[in-house]
Amino acid sequence: MILYLLTIAFLIAIAPLLLTFIKALKMRLLFKRPLPLLQGYRDFSKLLKKETIISEEASAITRVAPFLVLSPLLVVLFFLPPAAQGAFYVSFVDAFTITGLLALSTFFLMLPGLDAGSSFGGMGSSREAFIAALVEPAMVLTVFSVSMMAGDLGVGQAGVNLATSFPKEHMASFLFAAISFFILLVAENGRVPVDNPETHLELTMVHEAMILDLTGVYLALIESAASVKFVIFASLFASLFLPFGLTLAWPLALLVFVGKLFLIAIAVALIEVNSAKLRLFKVPNLLGIAIVFAFLSLITFYVLGA
Amino acid sequence: MVDFLIGIFLATLITALFTTRLYRLLMWYSLNSLTLGILALTIGSQLGDGAMIASGIITLIVKAAAIPYILKRLSQKFRLVRQISPNIKVHYAIMLVPAILVFTFYLAEPITHMIDGNANYVAVSISSLFLALLLMMEHTNVAPKIVGFLSMENALFLLGTTATAGMPMLVELGIFFDLLMAIVVINLLFQYEEVRG
Repeated sequence: MILYLLTIAFLIAIAPLLLTFIKALKMRLLFKRPLPLLQGYRDFSKLLKKETIISEEASAITRVAPFLVLSPLLVVLFFLPPAAQGAFYVSFVDAFTITGLLALSTFFLMLPGLDAGSSFGGMGSSREAFIAALVEPAMVLTVFSVSMMAGDLGVGQAGVNLATSFPKEHMASFLFAAISFFILLVAENGRVPVDNPETHLELTMVHEAMILDLTGVYLALIESAASVKFVIFASLFASLFLPFGLTLAWPLALLVFVGKLFLIAIAVALIEVNSAKLRLFKVPNLLGIAIVFAFLSLITFYVLGA
Repeated sequence: MVDFLIGIFLATLITALFTTRLYRLLMWYSLNSLTLGILALTIGSQLGDGAMIASGIITLIVKAAAIPYILKRLSQKFRLVRQISPNIKVHYAIMLVPAILVFTFYLAEPITHMIDGNANYVAVSISSLFLALLLMMEHTNVAPKIVGFLSMENALFLLGTTATAGMPMLVELGIFFDLLMAIVVINLLFQYEEVRG
């Protein structure tokens, strides 16, 4: 139980570091001087000290929504597969619950964008709804098919099953699910082929457009929600699709787990450097490929058993 | 291991279906052939079949390296259009590809009862045959059509290696020779395309 709580606290603590690491790696690859790795924490503490100003048109929703963005994600953190063997984990939570909680968080992220009535906010919210609607079916299919392969519908139990007895005969459908989930990881966290997290250009903004009105504590909450979301996706990928190292002694297993998270961050950074942002109406094509692979993984598993 | 390679084989083919750039398409074809070559090497070393190992090495050299390189050089030489947009819209392709896969998986069901060992590899290779046909159908330009033809040949090679536990060496060498002849014909086609366009 202590290890369980320790892992969750550790994941929350490491979350800003991972996003800063991606940014720093990108800057280094582009021959810029990279920003220090503690910049995420500095931004957070700076935003906490800043004055919080709310638009005059905004209703009570803007005051409540940032907390409701962060809280479903914190709940999901408790349902993740364990990082080390012997740790406590919640075994019965399935793909639908996790996807639903993530969607709830996205819904409350869209509300403050619409609330103040600024044109940017509405645009960002509608784009986010457009992307989220395409991500969810693929996400349910992918996580469902992986948990079927592992022999248990609960995601936590599936992670443990995959690490202890890996189903080698289902390698092909496992690979398809991994491809699909990686596309979803990139799309849902607003990384480059779908959304550029670094610009404030009106044509490209999705996530930034929604939170343009927010300041101070509320902005800090939303920013930390974004980093926690990345950690959730990365650790789901790490424990479902890179299932090794769980059976080691717990400090070592935790170290391997963190190594996998940084590996995923490196992969995301490399993709960001090497690809241009897609036009918004080309995003359904990318997510369509994700849906094709998710469906393919499920039918390969069912029909062929491979 | 073989399951993993089969997965990559199908995944590269599906990604090639959604590509809209010629050089990227050639890269996916090269990766497709690379997995095919490694697959032949793996199965050959499992069976202890020298001929299959030899054909795997030839696949790696000819299909994964030489043919994409030659095609790229030819398309540079004749200044072919590098932007290839499929005639079938992506929205319809998203529906069509899973439909083809489900159809072929069930189509291969009676065959799989006849083969002892790797029964589902037959299903995968037949489905990749149909996907390569789709790749040929959805483009009007010559170059992607040719890549479709070559992927179809890859799918047949996969069927040959996995279903029969190794074709006779003479047959496989003949196929490689045919392929080189096809490249010569492709050269002529490109010249015709240039004269016409």
